[in-house]
This record gives sequence, structure tokens and C-alpha cells, in this order.
Amino acid sequence: MFNNLASKAIVPVALSLTGFVIICSLILCSSIKEDLLETAVQQETNLAATVVTSTRYAMMTDDRKNLYHIINSIGDQEGVEHLRIFNKEGVIMFSSKPEELNQVVDKSTAGCIECHSGSEPALRLGSMELARRFVNAQNRNVLAITSPIYNDSQCSAGECHFHPSQQKVLGTLDIGLSTDSMDSRLLTLRWKMIVFCIMILILSVGGVSALLRRNLLIPISQLMDYVKKVSGGSLDNDYPKGVNEVEILGEIYFDMAREKHLAEMALKKSKKADN
Amino acid sequence: MFLRRKQKQNHHLSPDEGVLSPDSRRQEIHIRIRYLKKQIRYGQWWMALFFLVSLGAAANFRFLPPISEEVRIFLGASPSPSLISIALIVYAFSALILIFGHMNTGPRRFRGWSHIGYLSAFYLFYYYTDALRDNFWPVFIAGLTILGLENYRVWSGCSEAIKEEEKVLAYLEK
Repeated sequence: MFNNLASKAIVPVALSLTGFVIICSLILCSSIKEDLLETAVQQETNLAATVVTSTRYAMMTDDRKNLYHIINSIGDQEGVEHLRIFNKEGVIMFSSKPEELNQVVDKSTAGCIECHSGSEPALRLGSMELARRFVNAQNRNVLAITSPIYNDSQCSAGECHFHPSQQKVLGTLDIGLSTDSMDSRLLTLRWKMIVFCIMILILSVGGVSALLRRNLLIPISQLMDYVKKVSGGSLDNDYPKGVNEVEILGEIYFDMAREKHLAEMALKKSKKADN
Repeated sequence: MFLRRKQKQNHHLSPDEGVLSPDSRRQEIHIRIRYLKKQIRYGQWWMALFFLVSLGAAANFRFLPPISEEVRIFLGASPSPSLISIALIVYAFSALILIFGHMNTGPRRFRGWSHIGYLSAFYLFYYYTDALRDNFWPVFIAGLTILGLENYRVWSGCSEAIKEEEKVLAYLEK
């Protein structure tokens, strides 16, 4: 099956081309996914910083009603899966979901362990280290960011408040956004890549096959037929024309056959003359 | 290579001392056919080994103990997954070009064992950077393509040689 010229010429090319295009497409997809994720984390970090800034005054004045209102308004936005503020002990003080209030978060879970893995909690992490991905109870893919709320001079020196200046982190804001739109964009991209790969493969493998067939396989097959015909006794010069190498081969074979034929005729004539 | 060496050895012998008896020629041809068939089998064994390594990688090497902090400190910071991916593309491209080169001039010997090492190293690098789940398929497809092409090269070369040897054997049997 693989011993003819067509498969010997096409199989290695098709195999290597298919494999290489698939590898490049998969890596490209993975790289685009990484970029999108990084952008999403950056946007979410900015959103978390905006929330912390917006709630700072309400926190300083201990205006819990206003704080609840801000948290609930942001939590009701489309795509926001959860928004919580923990205190230093890991107790949820404010949340867009009232049922979560006063619950304690385990510091060894994802989102907390990044800072609390050592004996002393880390104070600053990169934005990618603050992010985590998980599937929530509603079976939605969530990208969440935990952003520490740092102490500053206004908090520690304010008359109304009680945080000592040596306390670096006052609490943590945890915001989770649905990744549905990003996932659907990635899925569309994946399908586009698959279609693109198939088109490239059809074009390249089909192009190579068509050119090989037109310029090599058909002329060789015609040359084989011609050689068989001449070997059978027919002496005509309709050898395949158009491809130089095959044409020269056909011409040489025709000359050889003609010379052999002439030699045979001469031999016959001389035999007749002898008789 | 083996065949060429043998042919050269035979070529240098004088007709009186160098012409082998039909029995020893048959024996030599059988040895050569066995050698060629072994090369084809080697390729299949290495391919099977690659599938085994890939099975482990697909399971994110769960059977391995987690990399401890001391080992991570000793080995240093991991390269970024995108750098490993660039290296994978360059490796796959070079490997395919080399195999195509061997198709014309190389020996009919399976040379894919080094590729198992390289591909396993890529799995391990991605594992070390915690990016194996996202990058399993590119390495797997690279392995399939490279080892598939190498196997095809060995198979087609060896099959042709076996066919030639069998023709000579059939002629000797007459």
C-alpha cells in the first residue's frame, strides 16, 4: 500500500506538515489563552483596587450601611460572582452574599495560602500570584483576586479608628468574576484555529499531491505504458512529453528500440541474402 | 551501514577466496533480514515507551512525589512556559528537517531514542513550571509526528532492503 511512488512522496510530507501545523496552533492557542488570562487578572486587580479606594472613606468613618450598599451594588453587576471583605482573622465582614457573613475562611485554601504559606504572612505578591481559578457552587468558571487592604497613616492616626501603625494589613478584599465570556472567546478562537489548520493542510497537502501527480506520477505512468507498448513490438514515438527528464528517457528508449529494430531487420536481410 | 560494510567486505575479496557458498550467502542474507526487521521493531518499542511516558504526563505525573521547596531552590527559577513552547517549536522543526535529511542519506537504523529523551524533558519542564496541563497536547503531537516520521523512514528503508534481500534469497533457492 505504501510502496508506490505517490504514497512515498506524499505520506512523509503530509505527516510532518500536519503535525507541525497542529503543534504551532496548539502553542499559539495556549499563548493567547495565557495573554487573555493575564489581561483579565490585570483588569480584575484594577477593579479590586478601585473597590478598595471607593470603600476607604466608608471604612474610615465606620459607615457600615454605605459600605454594604457599595459592596451590594458592585456584587449585583453582571459577571461579578462574589465580593467579600475579610478582616485580619479571616472572618467575612462584608459580602455581596449575606449568607456568607461572619464565616471564617481557612487560610490554607487557594487564595489565602499564597500569602499564608510561611510562618510570617507575605505582605506583597505579584498580580498573577493573587489570582486563582475555580468552579463555584453554581458550576461557573471563576477568576478571583484577593487584594490586601493595607494600613496607611490616615487609618492608624485617625481619631475615630483603632488600627495600630505597626499592623501592615487590615484585611483582604476578595473579588471573583465569571470567565464565561473569556472561555467562549477562547472556544471560538479554537474552532477558528481548527478550520484554519484544516484549510492549510488541504491547500498544502492537496497542492503538493496535485503538483506531484501532474509533473511526476502521470508522466511516469505514461512512460511505463509506453515502454510496455514498445516492448510488445509497437514502434511509435508517442512517449510522454512535457516533463524534460521523462521526455529524454522516452526519447532514448525510442532510439534504442528503433536501433534494435533496424539491427534485427538488417540481420534478417543478411540471412535472406545468405539463403 | 551494516549492509554497506558487508558489501564492501565482499567486494574486496578475490574471486577465489571471496565467493561465498550458496549456504553461507543464504545465512548472511537471513542475518541481514533479521537485523532489518529488528530495526523496524525497535521503532515500535520506542513509540510504545513514548506512549507510556505520555500517559504519565497526561496524569500530570501524579505518581511522582511533589517537588519540594529545597529542590526548587536547588534547581532555581523555572523558565516561562512560553519560552519552553518556543524551544519545543524549534526542536520539532529541527528534528523533522533532520529526519528528512536522513531519508536521503542516513542509515536504515532507528535513531528515535534521543527524541524520547528530549520529549520527556519537555514534559518535565512543563511539569516543573506547573504548565503541563495546558501544554500536554503540543508535546504529545510533536512526539507523534517526530517518532511517526522516524518510524516511517526506518520502515520504508528496511522494507525496501528486505524486499531486495528476499529477491536474492529466492534466486539462490532456485
